[in-house]
Amino acid sequence: MLSFTRIALAGFVLTTALPALAGTLDEVKQRGTLSCGVSNGLGGFSERASDGKWNGFDVDFCRALAAAIFNDPNKVTFTPLSATDRFDALKNKSIDVLSRNSSWTFEREAGQGLLFAGTTYYDGQGFLVLRKPQVTSALELNDTSICVQEGTTTRLNLADFFKANSMTYREVAVASPAEAIKALEAGRCDVFTADQSALYGEKLNLAKPDAAVILPDVVSKEPLGPAVRGDDTAWFNLVKWTVFALINAEDLGIGTDTLDEAMKSTKPDVRRFTGAEGGFGALLRLDNDWAVRAVRAVGHYGEMFERNIGSRSRLGVPRGLNQLWSNGGILYAPPLR
Amino acid sequence: MKTTAASALLLVGLLSPSLVHAQAASAAAQRETMDIGDEPGRISTEEATIKSGPFARQLVFFRSNEPPGTLVIHTSEKFLYLVMPNNRALRYGIGVGREGFTWSGLVKITRKAEWPDWTPPPEMIARQPYLPRFMAGGPGNPMGARAMYLGSTVYRIHGTNQPETIGQSISSGCFRLANGDVIDLYSRAAMGAKVVIRHSAQL
Repeated sequence: MLSFTRIALAGFVLTTALPALAGTLDEVKQRGTLSCGVSNGLGGFSERASDGKWNGFDVDFCRALAAAIFNDPNKVTFTPLSATDRFDALKNKSIDVLSRNSSWTFEREAGQGLLFAGTTYYDGQGFLVLRKPQVTSALELNDTSICVQEGTTTRLNLADFFKANSMTYREVAVASPAEAIKALEAGRCDVFTADQSALYGEKLNLAKPDAAVILPDVVSKEPLGPAVRGDDTAWFNLVKWTVFALINAEDLGIGTDTLDEAMKSTKPDVRRFTGAEGGFGALLRLDNDWAVRAVRAVGHYGEMFERNIGSRSRLGVPRGLNQLWSNGGILYAPPLR
Repeated sequence: MKTTAASALLLVGLLSPSLVHAQAASAAAQRETMDIGDEPGRISTEEATIKSGPFARQLVFFRSNEPPGTLVIHTSEKFLYLVMPNNRALRYGIGVGREGFTWSGLVKITRKAEWPDWTPPPEMIARQPYLPRFMAGGPGNPMGARAMYLGSTVYRIHGTNQPETIGQSISSGCFRLANGDVIDLYSRAAMGAKVVIRHSAQL
């Protein structure tokens, strides 16, 4: 009797323990849908249309991931998360991946046990300047009035940058970006400083957006990318190599319009990408055409960028740092081999 | 002129999907569709520049090991970069060679000319026999307002009397800019300047 209970107990422990041991990929496959944490609304990155459909750069990354796994970019459930909730949602497993304009920092990895699967967007603090004084560099902003949001790291970065370059400025503290735009239009400040990705959105709120420019300089590092829990290396690799696949696709010239041509290519690096040789999909426990599926769903990195935030979008963010390493930017993905 | 250029640009934008479609149809049909004549005699003004969109002249972030003053041409993106100090470049939209007429390499600006004459090279005459054998420089000349000769090649960076073709692959291997833009570039690019021509990976 005792031994029977023991066996039953052991069986119970075993069955409950199994799902816990199963990796994120198994859970995702079992569920039949990827659970993706996104921003609750950030122009170009994550927006919900009136018909309930999610759009944006961060959203598209999760679609690419879903396509790589299920060959269906629509097998994603999006969970809008606030800045304070985002990492807890990842830690308590209510999402599989966080694709929500989050900066890759030391503390978030070493302190919170998360891992960033690469950088999808190199953001940084920039400057929105009314076109009147024809400045082309942040180093020409000496002796200007600068609007900056209170209680942010932006404010400290601003002080550091001006001190380091022996320049002076007059700080105009504002409570919100909207207030900064008003102040700019009323002439209370000449410059508004915030993260560049936000500045492109705010610029559209000016009465005359063309009257202002965003300087190409960034004075802080804000590498944004998808994050996962640090305890599942297989899942981490899958997400990371999906980022790299999108960048490598652009590097190799594989896009939505050249996919069919790529499938027939005789070049080894293209054939490894399409899965025609190498059999690399199996190493991620996916089908061998996983990378092609991702590109078919959202295009290569450049297409994803231009459509959501770049020259083909409302925001018109230039590629800048987010250009391929070979084209003057710093995007560089390790080779798929 | 401004509105005509803009509407022509819009028209090109609207047309391009059908062009892409035609491209897929057959190689022969593509040659027909893409072979936009050089239209000698069509007038474009010195002021014609690309005013908006990615092909407008603009200062961009551009990391490069090339010294300032170098011209970097990306044929597949249809951009010409004039490298400037401090990780910057002035970027111009260009028209490039049609398929089979793209090339890459390293050359120098060996000659600069204002309102250049046009003597289509024999190989171009062979392909397009209707072209004039010689045309004096001027507003109706397909060479446009300025030309920068590249090494000892038959290719040049030049203006155009068809600014609406900027952003397309239609030339015989030359790089064309709107007249206002080529005048701007001409004033900045020095004789002997290094010109790097690149195109993206082939499948």
